[in-house]
Amino acid sequence: MGQLLKIVVFSLCVVCGFAGYTTFGLPLIIPEAPPVEEKLTGEITMDQYIALGKKIFEGKGTCTLCHNSLGRAPLLEQVAQVAPERLKDPRYKGKATTTEEYIHESMVEPSAYVVAGFGKKGTNDTVSPMPNISKGAIGLSDVEIGAVIAFLQDVGGTEVTVALPSGDAGAGSTEEEPAEIKVAENAKEAFSKFGCDTCHMHPLIEEGGDMGPDLGKVGATAGTRKEGYSAERFIRESIVNPNAVIAEGFDADTMPDDFATQMTVSELDMIINAILGNESS
Amino acid sequence: MLLTLKRAFRYRGAAAIVAILVAISPLFVYAALNFGSSSLYGMVSATPAYAEEAAQAEAPAQEEGQDGAVEAEDPNMWKPLPAPKLETKDYPIVAGINSRLAVWFAAQLHLFFAAFVLGVPIFVWVIEFIGVVTKDPRYDNMAHEFMKVSMTGFSLAASFGGLLSILLVVLYPGFMQYMVGVFGKVMVIYALMFFAESFFVYTYYYGWDKMAEGGLKKLHLFLGLGLNSSGMVLMVLSNSWASFMMAPSGIDDAGVFLGDSWAAIAGHLWNPLNLHRFIANIAYGGSLTAAYAAFKFLTTDSKEDRAHYDWMGYTSFVIAMVGLLPLPFAGYWLTKEVYDYSQQMGITLMGGVFAWLFILQAVLIGAIFLSANYYLWCSLGRAEASKRFYYMIQPLGVVIVIAFLMWFTPHTLIMTSKELTQIGDAHHPLLGYFGVMAAKNTAVNTLILSTFLSFQLFRRANIRPTGDGFWAQYGTTIQVALYIAAETNIISLGIWSYFIPANVRIGLSVPQVSSTAVVLILSTIIDTLIFKKSADIGEFKWGHMPIRSQYTLFMLAVSFTWLMGLMGYCRSAIRQHWHVYTVLRDNSVNAFTPTLPFAAWMVTAIVLVFMALVFFMFWMPILAAKKKEAKKSKVAGGDLHGVIGATAGE
Amino acid sequence: MKILKPILIIAVGYLLLKVGIPFVGSKLHPGTWPVVPTSVLKMYMFFVVAGTLLFSTFSEDGYAGIVGPVADIYTNPKKGLLRFVSIMIVGSLGAYVAYQYVKPTFDAPVELRSIHPAPPSTVKMWGKSYSLQTLKNPLRADKANFAKNVEEGGIVFFQNCFFCHGDRMLGKGPFYQGFNPMPANFVDVGTIAQLTESFVFWRIGTGGPGLPSEATPWLSAMPIWHHLLSEEQIWKVILFLYDYTGHSPRVTAAQAH
Repeated sequence: MGQLLKIVVFSLCVVCGFAGYTTFGLPLIIPEAPPVEEKLTGEITMDQYIALGKKIFEGKGTCTLCHNSLGRAPLLEQVAQVAPERLKDPRYKGKATTTEEYIHESMVEPSAYVVAGFGKKGTNDTVSPMPNISKGAIGLSDVEIGAVIAFLQDVGGTEVTVALPSGDAGAGSTEEEPAEIKVAENAKEAFSKFGCDTCHMHPLIEEGGDMGPDLGKVGATAGTRKEGYSAERFIRESIVNPNAVIAEGFDADTMPDDFATQMTVSELDMIINAILGNESS
Repeated sequence: MLLTLKRAFRYRGAAAIVAILVAISPLFVYAALNFGSSSLYGMVSATPAYAEEAAQAEAPAQEEGQDGAVEAEDPNMWKPLPAPKLETKDYPIVAGINSRLAVWFAAQLHLFFAAFVLGVPIFVWVIEFIGVVTKDPRYDNMAHEFMKVSMTGFSLAASFGGLLSILLVVLYPGFMQYMVGVFGKVMVIYALMFFAESFFVYTYYYGWDKMAEGGLKKLHLFLGLGLNSSGMVLMVLSNSWASFMMAPSGIDDAGVFLGDSWAAIAGHLWNPLNLHRFIANIAYGGSLTAAYAAFKFLTTDSKEDRAHYDWMGYTSFVIAMVGLLPLPFAGYWLTKEVYDYSQQMGITLMGGVFAWLFILQAVLIGAIFLSANYYLWCSLGRAEASKRFYYMIQPLGVVIVIAFLMWFTPHTLIMTSKELTQIGDAHHPLLGYFGVMAAKNTAVNTLILSTFLSFQLFRRANIRPTGDGFWAQYGTTIQVALYIAAETNIISLGIWSYFIPANVRIGLSVPQVSSTAVVLILSTIIDTLIFKKSADIGEFKWGHMPIRSQYTLFMLAVSFTWLMGLMGYCRSAIRQHWHVYTVLRDNSVNAFTPTLPFAAWMVTAIVLVFMALVFFMFWMPILAAKKKEAKKSKVAGGDLHGVIGATAGE
Repeated sequence: MKILKPILIIAVGYLLLKVGIPFVGSKLHPGTWPVVPTSVLKMYMFFVVAGTLLFSTFSEDGYAGIVGPVADIYTNPKKGLLRFVSIMIVGSLGAYVAYQYVKPTFDAPVELRSIHPAPPSTVKMWGKSYSLQTLKNPLRADKANFAKNVEEGGIVFFQNCFFCHGDRMLGKGPFYQGFNPMPANFVDVGTIAQLTESFVFWRIGTGGPGLPSEATPWLSAMPIWHHLLSEEQIWKVILFLYDYTGHSPRVTAAQAH
């Protein structure tokens, strides 16, 4: 038994020596925690929130339609950096005090501050052509607006101050969004639903933009614009394939080209009729 | 007379049947894997020409189906699913135990015992075979004793295997469901192979004394072959799950099993893993039986027994070394294939979190080499005449220590800011050369050569060439020349490789290894030729070994076990947070990568439990032998003088 | 006195490591005194001592020669003073080691860097996502313009990288001494020679801040080059690095296909 005990003690010393050397003799590297997977349990990390904001910025929010290098609207990469200066600008009319509030305000109340040169024509940069993105066609939820702010703050290289959405609201509301859309019942609703009012003017639109041709006027000339095309056919083509004919003074690639898959037949008809002037308010 | 003939015929016939069964057993596996697939149907049923035409017309439909053609039509039937997206709530917590550690514990213990009982029968069979060829009963007795020692190991391996599978099913049901979806068929075959393994292991062991002569002995050898074949099949099948988890194959991007079990088995890392484990099992089995012999050596009072167990320990030690020497190269192959499979995994393994694990590994292997050499040096003490070699041990020791220091010098040196200023560079102008592969290859080849030289010195200890034969006169000189040439080649290639581009440099390890291999093989052959014309000088005493040399054998066994546990952690942890790499993510709370010290203490705990069980395993045959001892007269031991001559023939 | 021999061997080994290696090193790199870092020295000495003890005690004579005197000191009733002194020496040695280990120091903590950490599977630059597993240098296939691309890569190198990595790519540019970790030495076989081009692309593109935490991104001074260079420029400079140093990039199975 004496030998056995010695052997046991010897072996114990050897293995503990190995483990001790590992613990005290080698530098300790703590491996990184596994990367967080997207939409794990409704919880969301700031990185994912920022990524969501980027997705909305480029996709659903349609922001890049105008905020791009073509100069239709100011670039937003630096907006978080310049926000403090904007707030001090005498032309600023809003109530925001922080960068986060400023960006939020410019999204839901765009005219609070209009960057010089980007205002609606004839308003001397007091009215912004940008729609309220929490309403209408774009209709971002608070969570989504928060995501876009987070993204803009991140892109601008400033601290992200947006609070993360609470678990359920985060991923959920963006996914459920299609359920809220219902088929427009009249032309006015259709204009609003598809965001035509963002760029176009029309008698049915209360406050239209001037990024695209005035739809109240195109009805009169539509029949003569393209050979062999009736006015209705021309307008239909201009909606489903906007780049087919570009009106003078406007840019190509501005109007979304996916209306063919977005609109129902009745909505398309209502819009065409309204443009042709067949339907009045 | 007639009866004897009849019996012999019966047994010869049985031997032939077993032989045929063993030979075609891979076919069974193949057939089972392809059961249900159209290719086999085509093979079994002679297809008439018109049917073939019809089949060609329907070819697209068949393309789609293979295995699942019938199932796909019926939505209620099971079909392979994509890898599930598991969530934390999919991992049950049972009785508050930590799932990760529980599975780790069971898996490692299962692997320890499985490696042991897979390794031992390999060399038991070889030793038995040598015994039959040389007609020396000592070999047979020793083989039998090895088998006796490992018998408890079979049931322990199976018990821990059962525990492991139960734990996996209970604690990781989502993962197991997916694995079963891919490997269901293979798992059933695996389970069935256990019947074959059990059949062979019991008939082989319990039939040993009954089947000792003539044709029966041949049958016994066939049974041993069957034992090893079925063990081998078991090992490669379970390896396929491990290699699939690291480098999945036979599935599409979403993890849907494509229906070909063979493709899932034969993944990118399967064969490297098979080879590595096969060699390591032999080394491991050898080191554990050596520890058993050392234990018996230390606890016995009888001089004869001591001589017997000294010889047994020495033989086990040689077996362990035979396994150990090629092991680094099998390891290099596995690592290279890991790199080839995924650079990310390769760098995680060698450059990232686990970089220091390989320094630890180098230290452990160095310790094993040092112990091995020490055992061989102590072995010189068995022969009085060996004193003439003593002067060589010190230089040999110095060479081994220097080679070893080179080997474990890390690529990244930890230095304080003061040292960094003194050195003036992140790379040390001298030690920096030791950190790269070129130096390590040179060092490890030198280590192996030195160890082999120690071994040869021992074999020569008691022998002096006599007569005027060519080999007796010039053999030793040629051997010395071989050593010098090989070592010069290894070192100059090592130095040269610093001056050439990387793609050429990697190729240089081949001539380095070849130099070592050539010395190992040629020198052994020359030894045999020399021993033919040689005489004993002085006395050779088995059992004349100091106690500290036996502790060296324990050191070997314990280091081997610990190292195996450590590398098991490494192999498993480089998957990081994946159950099946890139396919099935581990989303349990335990999906982190443990730190090295955490793993080290975990391995230590497992090794301690294992050691306790090994003592139990070694104690079992002693318990059984106690009753018999009274009846039986001593057969073991016997005249062991001059056995060295017999061993030399190996 | 047989015990003196191993002690002498250990002492020589210690001197070689402590003075010999720095001395040779100082001839190779004049102006420095490249000591063996303490962390490595400890391990070296452990095995020097262990190895020396092993090859000194394999024979019975050797064993008795070393264990004998030690046992004598600790058991011989006549050597009480010597026993007292030797116990004091061993005890003080232990106390000294323990004191060295725990005493407060003003040295910056040793920070461990993994020089070549595992790359992420994908990396995002210029708003695009790159899979590092399969990414290849698009310019390498363009054999016709190879020389031109290499030359342009050289221009990129000397306009941007040279200041730290040096004109001979040895990591010894004009500013190299200001950095810890020091700029990478591309001629060394341990850097780009053992890496794939996609890895180098990732390292240049995301710079120091793009490193994972085991590689201490807070220490590296490497800029985030994808903010300053174009994708094409980075691929060109990679061509230049391999061409100039004569190394060829590692190619993995996934990239070879």
